[in-house]
Amino acid sequence: MQDLKQLYQAVLDGNAKLSKSVTEAAIAEGVDPQKLVTEFMIPAMDEAGRRYECGDFFVPELLIAARAMKASLEIIRPLLTAQGTQPVGRVVIGTVKGDLHDIGKNLVAAMLEGGGFEVNDLGVDVAPEKFAAAAREKNATIVALSALLTTTMPSMKATVEALKAAGVRNHVKIMIGGAPVTQKYADEIGADGYSESAASAVTLARRLMAA
Amino acid sequence: MNSRERVLAMLAGEPVDQLVLMPITMMFAADVIGAQYRDYALDHRVLVEAQIAVAEKYHFDYVSCISDPAREAADCGANIQLFDNQPPGLDEQRALLADKTALAKLKIPDPLGGGRMTDRVQAAALFKTKAGQSKFIEGWIEGPCAQAADLRGINSLMTDFFDDPAFVRELFEFVLEMELKFARVQIEAGADIIGVGDAAASLVGPALYEEFVLPFEKRMVDGLHALGTRVRLHICGNTRRILKGMGSLGCEIVDLDLAPLDEARRQMGNQILLGNLNPVRILRDGTTADVTHAIAECHRQAGARFIVGAGCEVPRGTPENNLLALAAYARSHAP
Repeated sequence: MQDLKQLYQAVLDGNAKLSKSVTEAAIAEGVDPQKLVTEFMIPAMDEAGRRYECGDFFVPELLIAARAMKASLEIIRPLLTAQGTQPVGRVVIGTVKGDLHDIGKNLVAAMLEGGGFEVNDLGVDVAPEKFAAAAREKNATIVALSALLTTTMPSMKATVEALKAAGVRNHVKIMIGGAPVTQKYADEIGADGYSESAASAVTLARRLMAA
Repeated sequence: MNSRERVLAMLAGEPVDQLVLMPITMMFAADVIGAQYRDYALDHRVLVEAQIAVAEKYHFDYVSCISDPAREAADCGANIQLFDNQPPGLDEQRALLADKTALAKLKIPDPLGGGRMTDRVQAAALFKTKAGQSKFIEGWIEGPCAQAADLRGINSLMTDFFDDPAFVRELFEFVLEMELKFARVQIEAGADIIGVGDAAASLVGPALYEEFVLPFEKRMVDGLHALGTRVRLHICGNTRRILKGMGSLGCEIVDLDLAPLDEARRQMGNQILLGNLNPVRILRDGTTADVTHAIAECHRQAGARFIVGAGCEVPRGTPENNLLALAAYARSHAP
């Protein structure tokens, strides 16, 4: 019988090889894939986020934890889809038009995925219209926008406007983040929330989903 | 005492008449002369004109060659994306060292070979001609972690620390040699100090910083000192957990962005500290009273060995009066 606590530890340690092998063995033994996600992987990523918030983990540790989680999710996701299991929410995320910085966005995407969300990452330099089209196509519940430059922050506003113009604004919650971004700016452009860090983005997303 | 004399005296530990003022400006400076940032980053004559204009208007004690972190990477052959009115960017999907084996074939560019590095050297030379008697001149290079991230891609570098430590060290060696060559020609052209920007270093924790980054930063700082120059270390972001290491490098100036100044003072002893007014929340979005209050608090925490500046670049759109309030504080206070 597979020791499933190993999966939790493998994700937390960023050991992708082990997380994958434990996941494969557990599935082969007939363990419910949803149980692996909710009882071991999400708690592991929550713990990684907690350690990041309190300064015990840093970007490299968070990235390898996310990589280990993804290695398991690649095995589990098709099984969940086959079961008809719904994600906590569906996120469309990207760095806004004119901005090529992606590490913050990648961390938020990884943490949201680790939090049970389905994440559609559009990459960097994403045009407002592309966000709107993806939100509609993916039936998104959250649109998450990242910007590192003060010069590209106006693209966030343009994206909010594009979501309105495409008629999807009322179907999604918009959350924004990035070094120069503030709650004040989120309020000004009509976003639903602002997050200061990757870990708190998961808390914000869960709160927005519950609202 | 003019600006140049003031900075030189401060760094020599001699008395000065007022606080030294050295905020980083880039896009803000371009806006002051109505230049597009693309021109500022690509043409040293525009950069020099803008820097001198902003230094005169806001009473800065220095001018700087800093514009963007992509100069060395561009000359190495990296794909640079240019924008009309913001800094050039690097696309990680097309990083020069996306394939690690490419490092073995990578050649250090000639900093006087006519590329973007040469343009910075020309900026240092033009500063010396136009403001060499009155302003302190800052050259600029990237630190080991930042430059490695520019060449390899920052996401990849972060996992390389665990996956392939030997590659990281090999890459840092390449960067160290390239940056010291780049610094040498800027110093020869007229730079009084070399700024070392190592932004990505704040993303790693103390363990990786001390194992990988600090030894190369130390060799870089020692190498710069051996070239006869002074060093200003600028690591953007939250450096709270690596303050002690930063303070051990022997830099003339250490900038602070998000780390608490009082903690830095405790950990770094007599180090000259620069910062760390919040650039967005206070300098751009606050009132003049907020600026004055916040910089006074920075001064109180840092004590006499203190240079006035923001934690990072003065953002585009910062109200004139806020920057004038910062300057007024420096001019009306002695260390």
